[in-house]
Amino acid sequence: MLNKDKTFKLKDLAKHTEFTLIIIIVGLFILASVFTENFFSTYNITNLMKQCAIIGVLAVAQTIIISTGGIDISGGAITGLSCMVLALLQRDTNLNVFVTLIIAVIVSVIAGFINGFIIHDFKVPPMIATLGSATIIRGIVKIISKALTVSGLNKGILDMGNLSLFNLIPVLAIIWIAVAIIIFLVLKYTIFGRNLYIIGSGVEVARLSGIKVRKMFYSVYALAGLLYGIAGIMLAARVQSALPTGGEGYDMNAIAAAVIGGASLSGGRGTVSGTLLGTILMVIINNAGVQFGLNTHILEITSGVLIVFAVTMDMLKNRVKK
Amino acid sequence: MEDLILKVENVSKYYPGVTALNNVSFTIKKGEVRALVGENGAGKSTLIKCIMGVERPDTGHVSMNYNGEWVINTDALEAQRHGVFANYQNVNIADELSVAENYFLGNQPRNAFGIIDWKKMNEESSKILHKFSMDIDPREKINRLPLAMQAMVTISKIALNDNIKLVIFDEPTALLENEKTKILFDFIKSLKEQGVSVIYISHRLEEIMDICDSVTVLKDGTYVDTQPIENVSKDILISMMVGREMSDIYNIRHFKPGKELLRVENFSDDDNFRDINFQVHEGEIVGFVGLVGAGRSEVMRALCGLSHKTGDVYIREAKTDIKNPADAMEKGISFLTEDRRKDGLALQLPISININMNSYKMISSNGVISLSKEIERAKEFCKKVNVKTPNISQLVGNLSGGNQQKVVIAKLLCLNPDILIFDEPTVGVDVGAKEEIYKIMEDLTSQGKGIILISSYLPEVMGLSDRLIVMAGGQVTGDFSREEVTKLREEDVLLCASHEAAV
Repeated sequence: MLNKDKTFKLKDLAKHTEFTLIIIIVGLFILASVFTENFFSTYNITNLMKQCAIIGVLAVAQTIIISTGGIDISGGAITGLSCMVLALLQRDTNLNVFVTLIIAVIVSVIAGFINGFIIHDFKVPPMIATLGSATIIRGIVKIISKALTVSGLNKGILDMGNLSLFNLIPVLAIIWIAVAIIIFLVLKYTIFGRNLYIIGSGVEVARLSGIKVRKMFYSVYALAGLLYGIAGIMLAARVQSALPTGGEGYDMNAIAAAVIGGASLSGGRGTVSGTLLGTILMVIINNAGVQFGLNTHILEITSGVLIVFAVTMDMLKNRVKK
Repeated sequence: MEDLILKVENVSKYYPGVTALNNVSFTIKKGEVRALVGENGAGKSTLIKCIMGVERPDTGHVSMNYNGEWVINTDALEAQRHGVFANYQNVNIADELSVAENYFLGNQPRNAFGIIDWKKMNEESSKILHKFSMDIDPREKINRLPLAMQAMVTISKIALNDNIKLVIFDEPTALLENEKTKILFDFIKSLKEQGVSVIYISHRLEEIMDICDSVTVLKDGTYVDTQPIENVSKDILISMMVGREMSDIYNIRHFKPGKELLRVENFSDDDNFRDINFQVHEGEIVGFVGLVGAGRSEVMRALCGLSHKTGDVYIREAKTDIKNPADAMEKGISFLTEDRRKDGLALQLPISININMNSYKMISSNGVISLSKEIERAKEFCKKVNVKTPNISQLVGNLSGGNQQKVVIAKLLCLNPDILIFDEPTVGVDVGAKEEIYKIMEDLTSQGKGIILISSYLPEVMGLSDRLIVMAGGQVTGDFSREEVTKLREEDVLLCASHEAAV
């Protein structure tokens, strides 16, 4: 009964979405290049990639969480925390720069782990748990920074934010793509990756299949924490300092990028490649819009419409299946 | 025509791969209490849904007499407006609300300012509770009540309506003890006196003989007959329900049981079952029968480490403690759960992931999966159980019930377990797929595997089992060997399963 279809790919699920996204992105890119003066310039393309990078990393983390049927709105806050911890350590201590990086990341992993613990052990819905932790973390960041901007970052970090490969591809974007590739491979080739989707399809199904659900929840949110930690370092490099409000507003963009890329908020679906395209589309709309001289508020509305459209499509797809 | 309340005319209903109802016709009179009987899968629930307007028949129609006009209900709300109320088998309540709020759900009394009149609501509720001899506070949160009380709340809720024409009870006594059953019967009698018609569904035939005026029998989705209750006896009813050629599909090869695989001793949990003992040998199918709530599935869930229990488990004569499903699998026990859509399958994911779900460890090293083996194994096991699909990347949610069940079985087989627990493996599965599932079971026992089969479908469990264990009220009330099973009649088993002493 089985035909010779040899190439099963998880991405088949999202193929359609990805194809559409590529068409739209390429279309926008060409339009903006032809009709505006500055869009297709080295400076702007580099800038575009920088704009993508941090949101892109958060969106990858979000993809992991959304595919388990969860959602994390503490990503921006943890990113801000990592950024602030890094800046304070580098300003106020003599620790080796690598040690400060590692501490910033560890703090973020712990924050993510606590999210996982609250969500699994106390059965708090992910949205509420992470809303709570985001608020707490924002408070903590403001206390440790005395609500002031912290500068005095290590030169290496500052350079990281400015340097570009061949004067075109920013280091930040390289980090983003590297993170995306690693997580892509994890989702595609590992048991951990499969388990994410199975949990997203139903926690009971996963439990009965012998998946250690508790361990999975802890590691999923801790892994997201790790990525936020990295994003925090990138944020420090990009802003060249740490703001007490750093990372604010990133979560919704990251969630939007994942959803536009085909991740389903009801779980069980989501790919890194889709999210990558979702991120690019979000950023390109804004960037090109500005080049076209559109009002930024109009662009906000456009992004909003896009999100609603993507989610509606997702819901319609699900409905047909049931 | 004047004294009729309901007409079911040539109703057929098809689901993918299954004919749930096939050209069913009958009528019900005003003030008549009509029993609707048939085995599981006979089409009773589907018929109820058609009467309530929840499902549309594919052919034919169900119409009701509403003040002299014949109308067709297109949804449950319309049915209720026309005076049709149903009490479903699964207790339908708003868990977090009080008894009174459940009574007046969506219909709360309001005062002059449009604000809910709590006093009136609680008073009215108290009256109803009193009428049904339930000694509880209407302000009590409903999920604090025992299940039987919750069931009584949903039953008594019907009495709140003043335009009742037809009431449907689907297995109302499954959760009730004798005393409450009597209250229910009094309610039914009072409904009848008011000229209200009742459709009463129950597996407990003695109840039907007690309370009903007439009985309609369904079998495998087709209408068998309607008779006044005086004309039938329990035996006649059963033969009408069962009366089919004992077809060959249950006729699998049986093997001489080998060594003991599993022994369960003095198994109890706090409330669902107690003092359960049984063994499973190589090449043996051990069947479990019982009514809803008899505790069969609970025993198996506890065995797989899904719930708390006391007692001992021996696997191949060695005492063991199973902590969780992963542990059970490692020790050679695989569990096909009753609700495959909820517990067994990741519906949004492809067949290949579903089949490998339990056993990714076997095709990976250091957590990295071999994608080629994943595909290979999915194909191999799809072929083994004959899943009908164009390709293995098909989403499981798009398969028919029978094929979904085969995917679950393939998933279990991947682990090569010694003992398989099949909980209602053929529910919602068409006849062809059923036969294939039985063949798979035969194949497994021929390899010396042990199978525990839970089924409410008597011909199936009696035809397949080498040993038959009957449970009622959480206890074993019958234990039969293969020779005894072949001589047993279904009514003997039914009697055993409704054993009063156990309750």
